[in-house]
Amino acid sequence: MRLINTVAWVGAVAGLAMSWASAAMAESAAEIAVREAQKYKGQTITIVWEAGLQALDPLNFSGPKWEELTGIKVKVVEVATAEMFTKIMQDYRSGAGAYDALNVIPSWMPDLANAGALEPLDAYVEKYGYEAELQTIAPTYRDNQMKVGDTIYSLPDDGDVFVMYYRKDIFGDPKLQAEFKEKAGRDLAVPKTWAEFSEVGQFLTEKLAPNTYGAAFFRQPPYTMFMFQERFRTEGGKFFDAESMKATINSDVGVKVLTEMREENKFMPPGVEQFGFVENLAAFLSGQTAMTISWPPYGRWAAGYGTDEEVLSWVPKSTIAGKVGYALPPGGHPELAAGFTLSVSSTSKNKDAAYLFIQWLNSEEISMQRVQLPYALRDPFRDSHFVSPEYMAKWPDAKEYLAVLGEGAKTGLLDLSLLQTDKYEEVLRQMISKLWAGDDPKAIADAAAAEWDSITERIGVDKQKAVYQAWAAKSGAYPQ
Amino acid sequence: MVGADDITTPAGVAPDRLFKYWLIVPAIFLLLLVGLFPLIYSLIVSFQNITMMEVDTSFAGFVNYAQLFKDARLWEALLHTGLITIIALPLELVLGLLMAQLFLERMPGRQIFVSLLVLPTVIAPIVAGATWRLMFDHRYGPINQIIGWLAGEPTTLLWNVNPNLVYPAIFICEVWQWTPFMFLILLAALSNVDKSLTEAAEIDGAGYWRTFFKIVLPSIWPVMAIAILIRGLDLARIFDVIWALTRGGPGTMTETISIYTYVQGFQQFETSYTAAIAFLVIAMLTIIVVWAIRRMGLAK
Repeated sequence: MRLINTVAWVGAVAGLAMSWASAAMAESAAEIAVREAQKYKGQTITIVWEAGLQALDPLNFSGPKWEELTGIKVKVVEVATAEMFTKIMQDYRSGAGAYDALNVIPSWMPDLANAGALEPLDAYVEKYGYEAELQTIAPTYRDNQMKVGDTIYSLPDDGDVFVMYYRKDIFGDPKLQAEFKEKAGRDLAVPKTWAEFSEVGQFLTEKLAPNTYGAAFFRQPPYTMFMFQERFRTEGGKFFDAESMKATINSDVGVKVLTEMREENKFMPPGVEQFGFVENLAAFLSGQTAMTISWPPYGRWAAGYGTDEEVLSWVPKSTIAGKVGYALPPGGHPELAAGFTLSVSSTSKNKDAAYLFIQWLNSEEISMQRVQLPYALRDPFRDSHFVSPEYMAKWPDAKEYLAVLGEGAKTGLLDLSLLQTDKYEEVLRQMISKLWAGDDPKAIADAAAAEWDSITERIGVDKQKAVYQAWAAKSGAYPQ
Repeated sequence: MVGADDITTPAGVAPDRLFKYWLIVPAIFLLLLVGLFPLIYSLIVSFQNITMMEVDTSFAGFVNYAQLFKDARLWEALLHTGLITIIALPLELVLGLLMAQLFLERMPGRQIFVSLLVLPTVIAPIVAGATWRLMFDHRYGPINQIIGWLAGEPTTLLWNVNPNLVYPAIFICEVWQWTPFMFLILLAALSNVDKSLTEAAEIDGAGYWRTFFKIVLPSIWPVMAIAILIRGLDLARIFDVIWALTRGGPGTMTETISIYTYVQGFQQFETSYTAAIAFLVIAMLTIIVVWAIRRMGLAK
């Protein structure tokens, strides 16, 4: 018996020692990337990054750190978002190989992958042991923004999602609560449907304008195009008839959404039709609006997080820190608007070095640091980001903020992604522009649908149908 | 011994006569390379089917040219371009002429005023457009502020969104920037009008308008015609100001042919179709310019 106990004890100690040793020996994806990349010491890799704040990540943080760890220099080519696709395609078509790694908006992936501009990444993921850490990217991004067909072309790297920001102090005002209850017969609460949104927004404007309006959104067409996509689907709309591939954005739902969007402008600040990202931000941070919908940085800046950084000096000082609540937009299915993934250019002459850099950037360890950079615009996209104690401690309401981002990552809707997506998006932008100019919603929706049909016919109905069906089958294409 | 005069080419041409042609060969080659080659290459591309997704260089026939006639947005863009040209050009001409008349006489500080007036023309059009966009901004722009003061209440005129205001906004910017160009050229032309002729007409009892139409205008016409031609061609390819102000919006309401060509070529990557558009525009402009040159008597 004593012998058995001794053997068991020795076995247990040996097991513990082995598991400790293997744990100590197991490398993280970031460590593997650094170790392997040291073989390419002295080389330079070029990465395309969105110009402005986004690029401060590789310029100030990740680029210098990578060079320090591996000896590989990172050259950052800053390109305005509107020109990124063009630049990437031009580089690919010319065969110049000027770019090694790329920032890619997920809705561009079918076009870039089918053209051959993106390097398939499956072999690299396997070779450099990244499978496990890929699985801890939040499912919406991992399952929908990584592959074209069955091939990995990108590493999802940005949790862009629309969030509703509202003024807790206004919604909690007893006087306003009583008046709203008397008027509407229900409690004043953050709207969960667009009908409620309209009612609450109108009420708050009546009570508080011109100091504070019920709501404002960015209304410039490139932004509103995303909002239309979200709202159209949460109201039950489908972009196409899946069989005929005829556009159905001019359905009753489409016309209703357009009509309501224009009606809502009446309780928003004068000139809201021209609000862009910054104008809308300024209005909210200065206390001029009670509700707005935007990307995650609004929430951080409203809380004052990072706004003392010199590069964020253009952000208006928040007068509403501590008064901001976070919620999903009405309908509960926020648009995963734009966002970024990381890819390797198929014409790169340093593919391994480029891949290792994006694996390192995207890894658990490094991405956790990057999403917390106060000046950069990468938003939480991994399961661990949403529950990070370090992030939750950034400002008093950061826990609620992260919870809403995490919820959005579960219920979010993907941007429409087809062959030549930008042509379809351009039609939507024109449609919104005409809407603000006062054209009849039904007429502009019909014209937009006709233009979509014409684009589909030029591309090839069957070809586009296959791409659409693959997109529509994704979990984030339509509300589940 | 063979003398220099005895050296001839096989064709019997003296080498010094050939030498001058050799000297201009590089220049001609360069001109063909940068001028003719892109033109011919574009023509070839217009008969192919090159898009963002496909590089199909096989002969596609007249598909792209046939598409031109079905493309309503293209013809609307041409219409907008024509509209801008026929309104902005006379405005700039008349205002430029009036200003030139005003500054024809000697006055204190004339040179300083002329220099200041010409400043808008040295600004890049895209910068002028961006500046005017800020001027028209409904929240921070001075234009709405001033209108608000005059109206006695805050005014929110959306110059880039309201269909009734977008064209006036474009004309204000365009006329502001290019009237000084007309002014400068016409001032130079007016300064060279023979004063003895106008004085003789005055002595003979001709009134101001008669003198202007019978003596001054014919004298300055060759210069004025050139100015009209230059500005007309500029307006036919107007891009920057409108791009900065409205991006062709609202919808496609202010989209000109240059903007549409840019969108097709560099945003939508319809390379072959864009080449066809370019040739349509070249053909139309050639016809108009040839007609205008004959009509204006510039060919003499």
